[in-house]
This record gives sequence, structure tokens and C-alpha cells, in this order.
Amino acid sequence: MLDEQILNLINADIDGELTPAEQQQLDDILETSSEARAMRTELLKLSNLLDNVPEQMPPPGLSDRILNQLAPPRFSSGFSLSNLMASFQPVTAGLAFAAGLLLTVGFYEMLPGHNTLSDTTGMVGTMVMGQGGGMNLLENNLQFSSDGFSGTVSLSEKNGFYVLNFDLDSTNREEIVVGLDRTGLSFGGFAETPGSSDTVVETVTISGGTLRVESQGRQQFTVFLRGSSPEKVVAAELITIDFSHDDGHSAKDDSES
Amino acid sequence: MNSNNRDQALVERCLRGDRKALEELVGQYERPIYNAAYRILGNPDDAADATQVVFMKAFEHLGQYDPKYKFFSWIYRIAVNEAINQLKRVRNQQPLDDTEVAGTSSPEATAEAGDLYRQIQDGLMELTDDYRTVVVLRHFSDCSYRQISEILEIPEKTVKSRLYSARQVMKETLLARGVY
Repeated sequence: MLDEQILNLINADIDGELTPAEQQQLDDILETSSEARAMRTELLKLSNLLDNVPEQMPPPGLSDRILNQLAPPRFSSGFSLSNLMASFQPVTAGLAFAAGLLLTVGFYEMLPGHNTLSDTTGMVGTMVMGQGGGMNLLENNLQFSSDGFSGTVSLSEKNGFYVLNFDLDSTNREEIVVGLDRTGLSFGGFAETPGSSDTVVETVTISGGTLRVESQGRQQFTVFLRGSSPEKVVAAELITIDFSHDDGHSAKDDSES
Repeated sequence: MNSNNRDQALVERCLRGDRKALEELVGQYERPIYNAAYRILGNPDDAADATQVVFMKAFEHLGQYDPKYKFFSWIYRIAVNEAINQLKRVRNQQPLDDTEVAGTSSPEATAEAGDLYRQIQDGLMELTDDYRTVVVLRHFSDCSYRQISEILEIPEKTVKSRLYSARQVMKETLLARGVY
């Protein structure tokens, strides 16, 4: 039975991790021990077997899927929107938002407390229909106003891209969470409006189908959305937008068709 | 420029919103990350999912990457952790009698079934997660002891002892399967 030190030397030899002194030590052992030589041969055989297993090729389109899900972590305020848009692959035919798909958006008034979809208390305003026609099938606006927090969120669809524009003003620090889990869309980019000196977006994080923006003050930014794949059904009407105040108050809007 | 400096330059460009740099990093690491994930998970679909999540996580936290360390080690650490976590999730979802290596339904796996490489992958899947991870990093990702130590954040001594023990187990497993 070989002792542990010899086994260690043999293993390290196979991995090319011996110092010259250790190599000499092992060579001396191998010269005199048939058991050590047999062990080395076996381990070398195993090592060669493992090293020669062919590399697996990733499935076709994996890198595209990865890139489609990745938005650059953060654009500076001077980032050019046209450059961003130019870097996108257009989502072409096959999307399921046919002309008949009209988006309706509930207008909510922000009230203290936690409003949910089923909670219509405090809901004011009206429902609007999307303005269909041509490639601009969707055009919707959400407006809200409450103490210390007001603004508009608009959703538009241009040439296969969905664009969520936020124009917000808040006294407190706000967390805005955009959820795409049920939509078939993915995040394609985020940009603050260039030249908006009082834009105070603090952090932007993306995790799976959720984008989280923390901000305070006047904020103008745009979230770009795209279909995960040209064939996949896109349900832009299921985008959720959740606002949470620092003081724990929140309100939620779900766009529904 | 060495590979780590090149990676760090790409990371900086990514952080400035340069999509080309992001594409380069994905292009550079997609294959090695997928391969490591495949060998740990034993299933091409799970490996593809894990690879996707690895890049999501890496780019989400890119701002937290410390250039003191190698980007290679950093992203591999995310990959190993994600693969192990995914494996645990998969195991939890599978009935006990359905724990054989998944993925035999894929064309590649079907073609491999029964052959030497399939036997080796099956042997790998019989190792504990700790043992399999060091074997994968050493033999399939070509990492040195030091690199494995950095990726797994364990001492080199532990890397050696896990690797040597894993080889013993693997040798016995393959002998039992008649591969030797």
C-alpha cells in the first residue's frame, strides 16, 4: 500500500505541478517501487481519458439568447439613444401583437397604502384604448399624482421595439420595478434622457424579467424592451409597473388588455 | 496585453455601456462556461440554462467585480455556484428513482449513450459535487491548482486532497463499469 506522500507526488506529477526537487524525489521512488509505477500508470490513464473527452459545443443561438437578456449595466446620461437603438436586432414578423391587440391601461391615483390589482379603491380616471395602425400598434399612457410623487409612464411600440418612457417627479426615494415575466419580452436597454441635469436615477438593476430603478427627484428615463425571439408570442399588455416609496407606501399598476 | 488585462479592459467598456465589449466577453466565455456547466450538470439543457443565468448574474454584478482578481476566476466561481445550485434544484424536482443522468433525450446525448464518453460523464455524475467540481475544473477547464483554489475559494491543499480522492473514486467507478 502506497503511503499518502507518494500518492500526492504521483498526482501532482500527472497535473504538472511538481517542483524540480519533488520530481527528483518521485523519480527515485518510481525507480525502486513497482507499486508506485503501477499506480502512476493507472492514474495517468484516467487523466488522459478525462483530458481527451471532446468539448461540448453550446447549442446554437445560446450567445444570442444571452445577449438578448443582457442590457448594458448603466448608460451615462450622455449616452446616445440612436446608438443604442442601432445596436438592436429588429424584431421582425411573427410577433403576435396583431392589429386587433389593443392595450388598455388603468389610471391609478397613488394613495398611501398598498394598492393591488384587485383593489380598485382609489382608482380614478378612465381606460384608454391603444391607437392602432401601421407599425405603431400600441400607444398608452399612465398618469398619476399624489403627495410627493407624480408623473407619466408611456408605452409605445415602434418598428418591433417596445419603449417605456418614464417622466417622474418624487420627493422621496422611489423604487420602480418593471416586471416582464408574463410578457415574452426581455430588457434591451436602459437610458436616461441626455441633458436632463436634474435626473436622479441612483441605481438600475436587472434580474431575469425584473428591472429595478431607484431614484429620487425629477427622473426621465427610457426602458427598451424586445421580444425574446421573433416567433414568441409577445404580451406587452402584461407588463407590470410597481412603485414603492421609501416610507413603505406603494401602488401597483398592471396593464391589461 | 495578457488575457486578464484584456478581460478587465472589456469589463470597463461594458460598464460604460459598450455593447460590443459585452458581446466580446460573452463570445469569449460562452463555450468554457457552458462546458464546465455541462460536466457538472450532465445535461445540455440544464447547462445552457445555467450558462444563461451565469452571464445574467455576472453582468448584473459587474460593477462589483474587483479587478484585483482575475475575471476568469470570478466568472468561473459564479458558474460553479450556479451549476451546483441548479443541480440541487433539479434533484429536488426529480423523483428518487429518476436521478440518472438527464439529457439522454438530446441528439448529442443519444449519440453518446453507451460509449466511452457517456460512461465517463456517468462516472463524473457519481462523484460528490465537491469532487466533481475539482475534476471538471482540472480536466475539462484546464485550471491549475492555484486557479481552482481561487475559483472555489479554498486552500490549494484542499484542492489537491479533493482531486486525489476524486480520482480514486472515479478510477474505481470506471473499473466497475468496465471502461478500464
